[in-house]
Amino acid sequence: MSWIREGELNLIERLSANVLKAGPVPKHVAFIMDGNRRFARKKHVDRQEGHSQGFNKLAETLRWCLQLDIPEVTVYAFSIENFNRSREEVDGLMELAKLKFLRLLDEQEKLERHGVCIRVLGDLTLLPLDLQQLIAKAVVATREHKRCFLNVCFAYTSRHEMANAVREMAWGVEQGLIKASDVSEALLSECLYSSNSPNPDLLIRTSGEVRLSDFLLWQTSHSCLVFQSVLWPEYSFWNLCDAVIQYQCNHASITKARELHQDEQCQQQLEADHACVAELLHHHGNGKPADAPRKQEAVTEYGVRRAARVKDFLDALRSKRDTFLTELASQATVA
Amino acid sequence: MLNSSAAPPSLRVTDTHRHQTLNRTRVGSMALVYELVWRLLHVLLHVHRTLVASLRVLLGNRNGRTWRRAAAALLTPASVAGFPGGDDDEKKRKKRLVLEIDGRARYGGGGSRPGGVKLEKMPAHVGLLIVEEPPSYTDIANLVVWCMAVGISYVSVYDHHGVFRKNNTLLLEKIVKQQERLGLDDSKYSVEFISNGNAVHQDQIVSCKPVVQILSPEDGKHSIVQAARQVCRAVEQKEKTSKDINVSMFDALLRESKNIPDPELVVKFGPVDSTLGFLPWHIRLTEFISLPSHINISREDLLGALQRYGTCEQRQGK
Repeated sequence: MSWIREGELNLIERLSANVLKAGPVPKHVAFIMDGNRRFARKKHVDRQEGHSQGFNKLAETLRWCLQLDIPEVTVYAFSIENFNRSREEVDGLMELAKLKFLRLLDEQEKLERHGVCIRVLGDLTLLPLDLQQLIAKAVVATREHKRCFLNVCFAYTSRHEMANAVREMAWGVEQGLIKASDVSEALLSECLYSSNSPNPDLLIRTSGEVRLSDFLLWQTSHSCLVFQSVLWPEYSFWNLCDAVIQYQCNHASITKARELHQDEQCQQQLEADHACVAELLHHHGNGKPADAPRKQEAVTEYGVRRAARVKDFLDALRSKRDTFLTELASQATVA
Repeated sequence: MLNSSAAPPSLRVTDTHRHQTLNRTRVGSMALVYELVWRLLHVLLHVHRTLVASLRVLLGNRNGRTWRRAAAALLTPASVAGFPGGDDDEKKRKKRLVLEIDGRARYGGGGSRPGGVKLEKMPAHVGLLIVEEPPSYTDIANLVVWCMAVGISYVSVYDHHGVFRKNNTLLLEKIVKQQERLGLDDSKYSVEFISNGNAVHQDQIVSCKPVVQILSPEDGKHSIVQAARQVCRAVEQKEKTSKDINVSMFDALLRESKNIPDPELVVKFGPVDSTLGFLPWHIRLTEFISLPSHINISREDLLGALQRYGTCEQRQGK
């Protein structure tokens, strides 16, 4: 089955979609596509068939999202914890992934026409090398596309992602690009795998589970969480509409909470800059307390220098990641 | 070969132009209709929500819990409950009632759990997430006391404004007071404290074994950033390298400054379906259960949520 499902909504669906679009629509939706195995058990089909149907549902859901003007979707495809499943199932899932990424490479033209950019978030090094290369190739092939974005979390857990972000910052410190005192909430966000995306506005988990299961913990701290009881392969357009309506009901209060959080973050950054300047003056100054305007000036100046450091570091990080992917992808062509 | 559209170009242009304007007005008026329908939809949803809430309060005050539940069940279509509600699941509710009766019978017969609840699975850390304004300290204190009474050893209270943190002492005082009041008024509770063996004097419970932790956004992302800065400082001083950093190392570091165990259960009170910054590192496997409000909350409602947690299955990636 294909990644892109072409097709139109029927009249009632289209009308409903238009009504929903009159209100605030989430710019980024994250899915925990849970319930493939339960679906297989329910329908008395093979477990692998359940996973395949789950993938087909993903293609369909992506189409619905586009029709609802949702330009970005992130899905939880494979958790690092999933490596603990039976050997047979893990191998089956890796095989499915290989097939799907090969298929994706076949469909490049279609992806280009729709402007779909595919990103894979996770620790690729945990995967078999051939799959790594395929993924890298798919990501490199679609990275210039700008109309809609699909982020596939593969070999991913959120804690792993956060720890990795800390490691990247530590790397920046080792390289002399940033100072330890430059570490901030904003910088940590920029070092996550998801640094190219805005935070999800809406997170949907199917099959009635009420946990986040180590998925986007950092990014969804101010997202609308919707838990639905439907199994993922049975997900329908109406389920998605239901979730969007809930997002709309929550929109005002969550926006307010986000703004509050944003203000606090700015405040903390300012305090951090003040502390750094105070320390610098203490070390290099002649011991005399500087007067208020001079100090203010110093803080602003420090802020500018810090921002420049952070920018250089982020550029270096981006190019490090790009090189990693491009090299993997070129290995694939050679092989 | 002659083209079929051989009309003079000027005419063709005005024609398409007229067509476009027509289209635009049609699209414009449709957009208006859509917007009206959308507003209507949300007004209806809002009315529905307020109606349910006021019915809850009205019937709750009259002690008509069964009626209240029936009304809530009638009024709440399953689809509009974003977070799993504590009130909208008929099957679980029945089970809960049975269990409560069961528990009471045990108590009468000198059973081991005088509180009247038998939980299949006891969460060690329960987070109470209040996303509702204004907060009612008495109700929150009640919730904390009830949690401790069933044997939960770590109860945290969170709001995203950090109001509880600011009024830390006020809330803790309230908790001690409610504890005394509930303990004096109801012999069941005092029996419970003693039988749990956690506390000899009730006012020690807060400071003694069961922990009440007041949390704010500072304990969330902010503390993760603090820990990250600490690691980077160690790297700066060449005490550590970036290669040393991994999940378990960072987890240990985070718990060094403030050892908060991962909550197994978060009960969220209020109309916002979001965690609003509650301990992002710690909620990896946390179950979220939502109750509509903490105002005038009853012990049964809380126990219902705990019971619901007991029926959840954790698969840990399997």
